Amino acid sequence: MTSPLNFKELVMRRYNMLLTGLFMVGAGAYLFRASPQLLPLWFVWLTGSFLWCVGIAVGIAGAAVPLFVPPKPVSPTRFFTDSVAKSVAMPSWQVPIDVLLLQIENHVRLEQAAAESFLAFPTHDHLHSKTPSPLVN
Amino acid sequence: MTHELLNGLSSDEAEQVLALGTRVIVPRETSLFRLGDPADRLFLVERGRIRLTLPMPVRGREENIFVEERNPGQAVGWSALIPPYRFTLTASAVLSETKVMALPREALLKHFAENPEAGYKIALNLAVVIGHRLQLFQTMWLREMQRTVEVRSA
Repeated sequence: MTSPLNFKELVMRRYNMLLTGLFMVGAGAYLFRASPQLLPLWFVWLTGSFLWCVGIAVGIAGAAVPLFVPPKPVSPTRFFTDSVAKSVAMPSWQVPIDVLLLQIENHVRLEQAAAESFLAFPTHDHLHSKTPSPLVN
Repeated sequence: MTHELLNGLSSDEAEQVLALGTRVIVPRETSLFRLGDPADRLFLVERGRIRLTLPMPVRGREENIFVEERNPGQAVGWSALIPPYRFTLTASAVLSETKVMALPREALLKHFAENPEAGYKIALNLAVVIGHRLQLFQTMWLREMQRTVEVRSA
């Protein structure tokens, strides 16, 4: 379940959270080890503890996200359609009239073939099959 | 050649029907009949192809839009047998000159009256042709409606 966060948001957070948690733990460790002279001791201990605790929590959360977020679905390779270049979109007024009339004729022929197919095998799928006609796609 | 309108008729019966007609040569890209013309002849395509079209305004100009094509063995112009006896499409020859058998309505009706059995078979064949056209176009109409609704709902 990805709700209430959306899928992309969670994927983006997957690694960012883990790295942020590790960075916070590292920063806390640096404060403890180095104990800079410029900072008061109470600040070092308070901030260091805070960074450790919160960093560990964020890191665990970041590591846990991949367990609950499904990997991005990969569509199967389509041998024919993947290699076909998409037709260049052209405003209808730019299409020469002869080409437009041919497109209409082609559309009618394709739709007749679809209708013939439905009449031969009258099923819901045949009736509502998507037309491959470029005129309406 | 077998004609869809003469299915089920004996060869003698078919010959008698064909003897009623006259062969017409339609030169390439010439109209056989036009939308709204009086329909007094039924045609059987013998050679070539007949293209049926309907007028539609495209960019302010009236264009003949392709509706369907009729091939050898198929019938064209059954409006000749159905009131008000006016053609509802324009028919023209495509690609090459086309040969059709033109059967006058008056001669056909007289023949049917004298040979009711042959008339019955031809009427049934005509019902098949008309019924198929009706089913084809109601399917196409529904598919176009579906697309229109999808576009409006998008």
